[in-house]
Amino acid sequence: MLQQVLTSSLELLINKALSLHTGKVDLKKLAQKTLTITLSELNFPISLSVDNNNIIVSGLTERTDCTISTSIKTLQLLKAEQQLTELIKQDKLELSGDMKVAQQFASVAENLNIDWQSELAAHIGDLPTHKLMQLGRNITDKLQFASKQIQADASEYLVHEKRLVVTRSQIEQFTQQINQVSSQVDDIALRIQALTKGLSNT
Amino acid sequence: MSAPEHNQSPDSQNTTTDNTTHFGFKTIDKEDKVSMVAGVFHSVAKQYDVMNDLMSFGVHRLWKRFTIDASGVRPGNKVLDLAGGTGDLTAKFSRLVGKDGSVVLADINSSMLNVGRDKLRDKGLVQNIKYVQANAQYLPFEDNTFDIVTIAFGLRNVTDKDMALRSIYRVLKPGGRLLVLEFSKPEHELLNKAYDFYSFNILPKMGELVAKDGDSYQYLAESIRMHPDQETLKSMMDNAGFEQTSFKNLTGGVVALHKGYKF
Repeated sequence: MLQQVLTSSLELLINKALSLHTGKVDLKKLAQKTLTITLSELNFPISLSVDNNNIIVSGLTERTDCTISTSIKTLQLLKAEQQLTELIKQDKLELSGDMKVAQQFASVAENLNIDWQSELAAHIGDLPTHKLMQLGRNITDKLQFASKQIQADASEYLVHEKRLVVTRSQIEQFTQQINQVSSQVDDIALRIQALTKGLSNT
Repeated sequence: MSAPEHNQSPDSQNTTTDNTTHFGFKTIDKEDKVSMVAGVFHSVAKQYDVMNDLMSFGVHRLWKRFTIDASGVRPGNKVLDLAGGTGDLTAKFSRLVGKDGSVVLADINSSMLNVGRDKLRDKGLVQNIKYVQANAQYLPFEDNTFDIVTIAFGLRNVTDKDMALRSIYRVLKPGGRLLVLEFSKPEHELLNKAYDFYSFNILPKMGELVAKDGDSYQYLAESIRMHPDQETLKSMMDNAGFEQTSFKNLTGGVVALHKGYKF
């Protein structure tokens, strides 16, 4: 029942987000329309249907007007309406049915504007909200810095350092050569020892 | 109290003799069952939703969602939510069928129906819902009326289940489907034992504490044990005329969703 857990949580989240939108959300054009999304990471579909300015999230595919098959990563890019055709061209997204429905859903997502700060302030007060937002910004900045640093280090490693780093086969070859030299030295030592012994006997 | 084994024979499970039937573990006259079940639901109607959440830890909402997903409902469909009680399925169906469709919330119990009607109206769902007090055995609808009939946690309280299934079959349109969501037999013995302990030791106490009615919840536990198991109910649906019958166990078989078509 993972599908039902996910759809009920999504339904709650989406409708909460719509209710927090600062402007007016007009879903009239999408009344009784359904967009089905099949994600490569999940083995079940997620359908978004519109009824009376509410979104119903279900696993129903029988009533769909438009189906999008894509991945979670691509879905995040889909917020911008114009991205839709671009993503289809790039083969990152498959679409069947009425494209207008997908565009209208994308447009709703794009225009969603939530004033999180004032929503939070209504619950916990202005000062704690300000502090919390400041903390959030600091953490975000640090995470972004860390992410950039990791990216820079990784590219440095890949472009320059990786070429200089000794590979396992090179190490093995080197060890083999050392062993050979060592064994040759041992042979020579034995030979010298034998020669020295011969000289002392004569 | 310990629970008896689930019966395998539809006849012995559904009806003991021609004139007697089960009310929990008791054997009673058939004609008394309706009023006795009515007594239970009159008593628990107001606390029904709270108790459902409490007893199932909220999982009943996922079972019902699963039922909706399996229904294949479309805009414009006519749906009968039989034994619909406080209208959880009706609320969802009402939104999904839209203004061109309709949902009938039917229940034999007036108290449950009243609670359901108030709840749905408070949610603003008035456009496409009708309320009918009806006995599942004698459905007051014309033949071939509905695209979908659902009965969630109601069939086990029906006196003559075979008759109810035939009645549902009659009111379904060709191509229509019945979905029966009902408590069933857990698949694993360990789960079965834990479930028995919970049902007979904890559930009635919760009922006593929250709904001030331990007896009704004792009946609930007993009626679940006397209800046909998965395969038996499937064969009862076959006998009533349904085709392509199947069932899906949920939460390890604590609940099963049976589905059958009329062609």
